[in-house]
Amino acid sequence: MDLASHQRILLGMMRATYQPGAGDAPYYHRVSCSPDLHEARGNVLLWRVYVLERTCVLTVELLRQAGLLEDALQAFIRQENISPFREYQPLAFLGFLAGHEDPLVVSVSQFELALMKVREGDPCRYMVDWSYDPAPILQALAQQAPLPDRADPDLHRVEISGELPYLFEIKRLARDSANERSRFHTALTRGSRYKSTGATSQ
Amino acid sequence: MNSAANLLSHDPRPALGVGVSYEGRDPALLEMMLPHVDIIEVTPETMSVADGDRISLDKAILAELKNIDREKTIVVHGVSLSIGSHDGWSPTYLHLLDELMDQVRVRWHSEHLGYTRVDGEHLGIMLAMPRSEQAAELVAQRAWCLQQRYGLPFLLENIVHVVPDCPADYTDAGFLNAVARDSGCGLILDVYNLECDEHNHALDIQAFLAELDGRHVKELHVACGVKHNGLMLDVHSRLPRPCTMDLAQQVLREVATEAEVIVYEFMPEAVPGLGNAAIANTLQQMRQREWR
Repeated sequence: MDLASHQRILLGMMRATYQPGAGDAPYYHRVSCSPDLHEARGNVLLWRVYVLERTCVLTVELLRQAGLLEDALQAFIRQENISPFREYQPLAFLGFLAGHEDPLVVSVSQFELALMKVREGDPCRYMVDWSYDPAPILQALAQQAPLPDRADPDLHRVEISGELPYLFEIKRLARDSANERSRFHTALTRGSRYKSTGATSQ
Repeated sequence: MNSAANLLSHDPRPALGVGVSYEGRDPALLEMMLPHVDIIEVTPETMSVADGDRISLDKAILAELKNIDREKTIVVHGVSLSIGSHDGWSPTYLHLLDELMDQVRVRWHSEHLGYTRVDGEHLGIMLAMPRSEQAAELVAQRAWCLQQRYGLPFLLENIVHVVPDCPADYTDAGFLNAVARDSGCGLILDVYNLECDEHNHALDIQAFLAELDGRHVKELHVACGVKHNGLMLDVHSRLPRPCTMDLAQQVLREVATEAEVIVYEFMPEAVPGLGNAAIANTLQQMRQREWR
């Protein structure tokens, strides 16, 4: 087998997107059912966790508490061409979560992404909408404490900008704004589950 | 004599220098390590920062290295060149390497004999090359080009096999010999990687060493990772085991008699668990050991 075909098959097997068929050499069938391949896939996942839990602290904590971390990471690994450069991984992961089906994951991840950007000098002003008051949620995530109980929706908008004293500001939304917000979330969650749409910026 | 100057001599059996991996941003650790080492091994990818769509070296780390290179030798050890990708190597890595070479005095540079990308898609892990004639020719040609491009020695390291071996034209050692012979590049022998391959894939280390042309080996690596699900992982999270050090000594005495440096590698993320003092102590012991 030539090098290109060999490498393409192993890429597909690493990503679990390729299953050797009748036309493939016995070697690939052997790899496919080897514990080594399973372990290697696990290592790819662990390396991502290792980097992301240090860089996307709030989002990873939320995904962990919600039992969504492994699914989100597996989808990220399968669907995204993840740079080996650690600097790019948190940005890519948080951007990817803009299309997550859970609105709270979207809010937390896009807030953290915007905060990361403005900290690095991004001059944009970002708006992230929340279904609940973000303050106690962010506090709990930062302290790795259980999330507070959320009863009725209480719509808020967080503005993130390098020009703000603490880089972000939380505002409670009026009902009219809330209607705008629900349209915003409909747009985010329509279509493919993990399609990245990004935060809104002005 | 253990000095950086010695590393530049043409003594056919140079004294062995001690080196350590360092990723910057930890001056307290660096201060504890420096008295015990001759060489600092740096990895451009871990010293880089994202600047929009561009990636470049962290200026603060570059300044650290410029200070170090007055008293210690700097060598570069990349992880993302992907020298074995069928569709070409990583231009992003070479851009970083160009930037580093322009600003810091480097003794030599090196990479892993494997690939991390296929058709521009990142694997998320490094895979070993299939040991075919085609692969040996491709890697040797690229290794030769890298030596021409920078005018510096270039070394390739044996990596762990994370999936079972495929049918091959060469043995493990034979493949390394062929690439080094045909390209003129040197080799890094990672002793811990040999131990991983022995444990995970029944590599016969003694047969490997008997076949390896030790004249190409300029550098040795020692490290230690963890066992997970019965497999030894190359994660550089622990202090080297005595058996790894003993194997390194055997290699230096019997095979790699012209090797110039032995490098202890660890991840910066492992430092809080290992402790600065334990790392410095390991380097001190390496400095004091009669390797040959």
